[in-house]
Amino acid sequence: MKRILTLLAALVLFALPALSASAEDAEDFSGVTLNVYNWGEYIDDSVLRDFEAKYNCRVNYKNYDSNEMMYTNISAGDDPWDILVPSDYMIERLIREERLQPLDKSIVNNLDNLTDSVKNLAFDPENTYSVPYLWQSVGIVYDTTKVDPAKVEEKGWEIFLDPELKGHVYMYDSSRDAFMVALKALGFSANTDKDEEIQAAYEWLLQMNAALNPDYVTDQMIDGMAEGFKWMSLGYSGDIAYILNENEDMAFCAPKQGTNIAVDAMVIPANAGNPRLANYFIRFITEYEASLAISEFTGYASPNRQVLDELSGPGGEYEGNDAYMPRSGYELDEIFVDNLKVAAKMSDLWLRVMATK
Amino acid sequence: MEKKRKTRFLSGGYLILVLLFIYLPILYVMLFSFNDSKSMVKFSGFSLRWYESMFSNRDMLESIKYTIIIAVVATAVSTVIGTVAAIGLSKARKIIRTVVLEINNLPVLNPDIVTAIGLMLLFLSLKIRRSVVTLTLAHITFCIPYVILSILPKLRQLDDNVAEAAMDLGATPFKALTRVILPQIYPAIFSGALIAFSMSFDDFVISYFTAGMDVQNISMYVYSMKRFNPAVNALSALIVVAVTVILVLANLIPALKDRKNKKEEQET
Repeated sequence: MKRILTLLAALVLFALPALSASAEDAEDFSGVTLNVYNWGEYIDDSVLRDFEAKYNCRVNYKNYDSNEMMYTNISAGDDPWDILVPSDYMIERLIREERLQPLDKSIVNNLDNLTDSVKNLAFDPENTYSVPYLWQSVGIVYDTTKVDPAKVEEKGWEIFLDPELKGHVYMYDSSRDAFMVALKALGFSANTDKDEEIQAAYEWLLQMNAALNPDYVTDQMIDGMAEGFKWMSLGYSGDIAYILNENEDMAFCAPKQGTNIAVDAMVIPANAGNPRLANYFIRFITEYEASLAISEFTGYASPNRQVLDELSGPGGEYEGNDAYMPRSGYELDEIFVDNLKVAAKMSDLWLRVMATK
Repeated sequence: MEKKRKTRFLSGGYLILVLLFIYLPILYVMLFSFNDSKSMVKFSGFSLRWYESMFSNRDMLESIKYTIIIAVVATAVSTVIGTVAAIGLSKARKIIRTVVLEINNLPVLNPDIVTAIGLMLLFLSLKIRRSVVTLTLAHITFCIPYVILSILPKLRQLDDNVAEAAMDLGATPFKALTRVILPQIYPAIFSGALIAFSMSFDDFVISYFTAGMDVQNISMYVYSMKRFNPAVNALSALIVVAVTVILVLANLIPALKDRKNKKEEQET
């Protein structure tokens, strides 16, 4: 009898935390509005509706189009945003300026869902403040019927100096990405602050400009390459994954000299109005269902391991698509660090490169 | 004779080119709002999916709603203020008129970003939380100068004696204003209101910095897209249709009224 009782007691003890956990799931936030500030076209609407239904709250969802715009607007400080989704270097700046609050790890307790290559990154080494939302890398997309794959793989970024491609190339009009390409091609760090290395990269870009006479574009490269208007372009892996699905002549190359890995992650500002609900939001997004919907909608790689495996695995939407899954664990790949001075200098030099066109 | 035909051909061709340049992009957007795929260059088949996706997108619909409400309120308020200001200015001493007009021109010539940051800092320093109210105030502010600029030239053409004659005949000054002056400058008020409406409808920069986190207008929604969403084509197509209908009605109704009046005159 006694043994049965202890057994029962033990059972109850085990069951209680589980019960309270499921009770927590149903926590009611009626009348509460969660203010989310994210990139435009970066979420499947259904994810927000599901979250609202689950926690009985309202989501006020607004968009920005660049980290800098977002930063200017939150700097005003009068808006108690609950969730922001800045990129790596911007998170580094926000942490440095003490504008964020640590996550409540008793709520955000599902970081095991994340793939290792997006965990504990340099800008937030312990994931104290941020949980990755989507990630991607910069790479080359090219037409295999026009450019030899072996040559692209062998040359990496050096292919951007090949005069044979003159007039058939899109280049991304972004000083950061262009200088990353040049610095990597020269074997330097993409985060260098050495003047002579930046100068060398500038000269490399002038050479590139003369050799290729590229069209400087931004998002036009997506449709342009999907239709095969050009032979080669610089691009983001998420966009290239879409291009590869649209046009089977296209291929992706993650250059051997290393590239930039970009991570957008969710953070909670220090002045958030509903930090508790914000923590629940982060947990919700990190779960399988929401991650899958977001990654399918945007085409960018999910930080959720299961989603990554499923979408790139057999029968997945990105099966056999080299661009969907960013390269991980490659020593030469880098994440941008925040350096305003260098960024200003590169942007100035980039204008001069474009002016010589 | 030969020469005449040639110039006619040239000027006709020129006109067609100009019209094509203006309307081809709009037609292109309307065509691609019916596209079956996400592509912006290849038409792969007819579908209404982007209209569906537009009407099921709560954030997009909400931003359209706010855009229209703000544009209507800003147009109404700025038109009233602008009209009164313009009438006052037309009667003011020359030195006052010149000074006020210079001040009025400043925000028009000033880049939007300066106005935007200025307004944001103003609201912040007054500790006013940015919201739909500050957004509407900002829109009223930048619309007023355009209304004044469009009405003032028309007022200058008016014959002062007409209003005086009305008052000689027993009209109160207010009646002279509403019955004599306003009807004469009505077309200018109308065009001022149209300019104000379209300025407010597609403003991005000033809105972005004065809106706060509760509202977003359609420009903010479209500009902040990380990747283009063809539902915007569907929206643009609907706006073009709405504007066309409104303009046709605005031109048709006075014409019909005129004809009716003329008929009545003939009958009597």
